[in-house]
Amino acid sequence: MRLAPISFEGFCQGFSKTLGASSLAVVLTPGLAFACALPPSVILTLPTGHYITAAALTVALTALMGAAAQRLPVMAPRLLWERRVILPVTLTSYLAFLAFLALVFVGLFGERDPMHNLMTLVFWTGVWIVVPLGSMLLGNLWHPINPWTGPVRIARTLLGRTRSIGLARLGHWPAVAGYAGFAWFQIVSLYPDDPAVLAEVAMGYWLVIFALAVLEGEDWLEQGEFLTVIFGLIARVAPLWHESDGPRTRLMLGWPGTQVLAMPPLSASAVVFVSLSLAALTFDGLNETFWWQALIGQNPLEPTGRSAVVWQNTGGLLAVWVLTLGLILGAITLCRRIGGGFATGPVMLSFLAIAAGYHAAHYLVMLLTAGQYTLAALNDPFLTGDSWLGLPPFYVSFGFLTDPRAMPLIYAAQFAAVLGAHLLAVLLGLKLAGQGARPVAHLPMTVLMVAYTVLGLWLLSTARTG
Amino acid sequence: MTNLLHPSRRGLLMAGGAGLLTAALPGHVAAQGAPIKIGFQLHRTGIGAAYGRWYERTAQAALKAINDGGGIAGRPVELLFEDDATDPKRGSEVVDKLTQSDGCDLVMGTLFSHVVMGSAPRAGELKVPYLVCSEGYHVASGALNRWTLQPGITDVRAQISTMAPWVAANLGKKVTMVFPDYAFGHDHRDFFTTAIQAQGGEVIAQIAVPPTETSFTRYFPQIPTETEVLYHVMVGPAVLTFVKELGEFYGTGAKPALFGFIDSLEAVDTATPGLEFLEGSHFWEAHPRVKPADAGEHEAAYRAAVGVDDNGASVSDAADVSTYSHMFSTWETLYFIKQSMEAAGYTGPADRQKLVEAMEAISDLPYGIERPQGAKRFNGKTHQVFGSQNISQVQGGKLVKVHTTTIEEGVYEDAVDYTTMSF
Repeated sequence: MRLAPISFEGFCQGFSKTLGASSLAVVLTPGLAFACALPPSVILTLPTGHYITAAALTVALTALMGAAAQRLPVMAPRLLWERRVILPVTLTSYLAFLAFLALVFVGLFGERDPMHNLMTLVFWTGVWIVVPLGSMLLGNLWHPINPWTGPVRIARTLLGRTRSIGLARLGHWPAVAGYAGFAWFQIVSLYPDDPAVLAEVAMGYWLVIFALAVLEGEDWLEQGEFLTVIFGLIARVAPLWHESDGPRTRLMLGWPGTQVLAMPPLSASAVVFVSLSLAALTFDGLNETFWWQALIGQNPLEPTGRSAVVWQNTGGLLAVWVLTLGLILGAITLCRRIGGGFATGPVMLSFLAIAAGYHAAHYLVMLLTAGQYTLAALNDPFLTGDSWLGLPPFYVSFGFLTDPRAMPLIYAAQFAAVLGAHLLAVLLGLKLAGQGARPVAHLPMTVLMVAYTVLGLWLLSTARTG
Repeated sequence: MTNLLHPSRRGLLMAGGAGLLTAALPGHVAAQGAPIKIGFQLHRTGIGAAYGRWYERTAQAALKAINDGGGIAGRPVELLFEDDATDPKRGSEVVDKLTQSDGCDLVMGTLFSHVVMGSAPRAGELKVPYLVCSEGYHVASGALNRWTLQPGITDVRAQISTMAPWVAANLGKKVTMVFPDYAFGHDHRDFFTTAIQAQGGEVIAQIAVPPTETSFTRYFPQIPTETEVLYHVMVGPAVLTFVKELGEFYGTGAKPALFGFIDSLEAVDTATPGLEFLEGSHFWEAHPRVKPADAGEHEAAYRAAVGVDDNGASVSDAADVSTYSHMFSTWETLYFIKQSMEAAGYTGPADRQKLVEAMEAISDLPYGIERPQGAKRFNGKTHQVFGSQNISQVQGGKLVKVHTTTIEEGVYEDAVDYTTMSF
């Protein structure tokens, strides 16, 4: 996994004084290389080119046939079950907040090894992978465990505060800023896996959001806090979800995307947010490819490490973001000019399917590798031989990564997630383009979808350093 | 802080095997007194993570064995693992943290050469012994300092040079080399070309492949038809593609003998479908992955302690092949630390200089549980250890050891005398 990790101040201070001397030594000293530690890739021996071509054709044909037929399946929600709310969100959120504090404590004072520290493991595999993956199937799992909702409600009640300070006027821009910082921390910064660094950053971020939400009201979290926003958006593709209404909650069932169709159009700031989520996932994959390593002058068989490529990767992340936003807005504008319809706010909703599918495909292998460490650490958090989850002691095992039977199955699952996401996005796009759009208007968007499918699958099948 | 919460060990991962070793050790004595703290610079994340996982596992097994045997000079030993993210800048900071904040007596364990190069200067400034497990020629070349030593694994120069006599005598004298075009490949190119000439052989073609390459078909026509031995050291994600395409290039027709370094397939099952073309070919190994029929008496106990079966795979997952040919270096380095600390009468950081002098005074390192890979000879002047190398042949998809070199075959002239440098 690319879990990799010092504090921002450490990075800034050390950058000039240490890097200069050490990297110079590497350049000047001949014959000192150790072999590459990257495992051979089974995926590189598969005929992935054929898969990618087939996926691209499928996406193109679906879009063209759908646009020509102008008859699409009806997507309507069905009520499965209604019951009383058992645990109020204020309570579950408060418990989640206490768990968060415990994790911060573990991060600051526990094991230094990131693969044995629950702060690193629970955040990067639990919060960042399991929660969104679960939310894609079962609806918004973040909602009950959001560690701000409860404390903010309690604080506002205690303070007798009911007013806001007008943060809502900023739309999703605070979340855009939060997510941009997070993406940089995850993909570019030196030590996002260092338990203490992660705990400090997480605690600092929690305090800032807590203070703002206390001033503004907890509803602001839905548009100002990036985790709440991204998980909420991704969960909209789920076929199962809860709709709460006071003390009652209804379990709903519908085709994936049914909830998306019921959403209001995205605001300009939300459009930028969605484009950022797509760009961050794309660049997280892209920066590990041999193609990118060659572009920034790194030897992919012996990369220097993150410290040597901070500026290159910062630039890359920004460039991919600008490109993603530009291409999507460009395609939508072109569609509108050619055949009418295609208002940006509604059409942009179709990209939520891609954000969800990419998240699942991109982090699947990390879940299967780092997830094992997480299970081991949860099973025996104090390394005393306990078995809290009832699991026997086990060795973390990565044998499947070079197993020619297992890896094609994993690639197939990623392939299905990416292709499924694009087919759903095409379907949603057809529905959200508006009645006024002529069939020909869908062409530019179809071209973009096909290109995005190819890019997504290429990122999963090309040679990588991680 | 770390050890307030979690006293020493990660018993969870070590559980099974170490117990066997404990049972095999006679009369173990409980260690007492303040623990000796050894900082371990671990490639936990970043490109070196695959090796890091096995380096940690092996070091934990050695730690358990040492502590069960009474520790070092009767004191218990602790390992403090700190992730360097396989990054030279971070590596330097890790040395700093382990030494200054965590109060470690010394630092060990680094594998990747660029991290060694980034960290060793800081170890020199802090005057803390820094024991690397990286195979690099950087230590013996004189590029580092008095505080940096490599006592647990031989360097690439010795490894490559010792292969030439056997290759010339058994496979052929006209050699074509295919290697990745960067320092690792250049070491092979330079050291082997010189060594084979000394055997009356000749490298008739050197095919350098750019590191970013993932398909190799267009390079194969450059292999001269009179080639008797194809020496290959391709590494990285495209290794399987390399073997597959090489098989397609030669088909079922005549082909040269193949000779490679296990670095290409470290942690990979040689019986993996797609690697059939390697059947019958030979590989350098430091420590034979598949337990040889004539393995030494301590081989079984070492494997049990680390949790590795007779095929070099994890006892819990036959598909999880270890980095067997390299990871013994952490085990042997820990025992080297034990031996030198006890020889120096080491009591604490004030004795660090005395400790390095004790290390430099060590020469013969006989075979035993302390050195499961084999006997070694430490050169105190160059800070580099020398040992035997092995050649294995792929037979029925398994690596079968066919030759072991002597220690002397790998010895070369000193390029530096660190003992003349000031501390």
